[in-house]
Amino acid sequence: MSENIRSQSFDLIGIQECQRNRYPLLFVDKITNVIPGEKASGIKCFTYNEWFFPPHFDDEPNVPGFVQLECLVQTFIMTFLCMEEHKGKKTNFAGINNVKFKRKIIPGDRLNINANLESFKRGIAKGTAVSFVDGEPACSAELIVTLPDVFENFKPKKLAIEVKND
Amino acid sequence: MENKEKYEQVFIKSFALTKEALNENLIYESVPSWDSIGHMGMIAELEDAFNIELDTDDIIDFSSFEKGKEILQKYNVTV
Repeated sequence: MSENIRSQSFDLIGIQECQRNRYPLLFVDKITNVIPGEKASGIKCFTYNEWFFPPHFDDEPNVPGFVQLECLVQTFIMTFLCMEEHKGKKTNFAGINNVKFKRKIIPGDRLNINANLESFKRGIAKGTAVSFVDGEPACSAELIVTLPDVFENFKPKKLAIEVKND
Repeated sequence: MENKEKYEQVFIKSFALTKEALNENLIYESVPSWDSIGHMGMIAELEDAFNIELDTDDIIDFSSFEKGKEILQKYNVTV
């Protein structure tokens, strides 16, 4: 079966059926080329109407780093939240490594994001995401995200610490 | 590599520990790196190292360095 036949796309409504981020913290407009359990691509278009541009900064509006990371991770989580058994579940950050910011993103820019899921086991998803503006690298990171509904089922028991009195 | 050495290497790699730290006092959450996320990483490393797949109950019961040796016996891995 070709990749085009297997891949899925999601508009804003579909994205919100899969993940729990909402305005003003939903930072992806469209998801394309999703191969469940493998990869997803995202698109985020920035206009000056975004709530963070006026304060960041009034004389030089640009996208804050945490928003750029959210764009990456919100695309990344679609690689597994698109699966029927995980749709609509909440996710938590567990780790972000090797973050690189390469380019300022300003009003009018369209961000293209590519995310790859490298492993998804027992509610822990590990992978990478990179973003581009006009083909130029913008931001990249290695991501670890947990799915608490699944992950909590595998947490070990805590041992009681034995206190000895001499 | 002997099973004992493989087992120790998993803990050293997963939790960034020295060999001296591998003893009966090493239990879940006794070192900062052995938290719930670290635990899942260590389990995945063990599964790869010994080519096994642990049951959910065993993952939950795997609460110490010593207890782990008992659990691996169930999978015919003697450490």
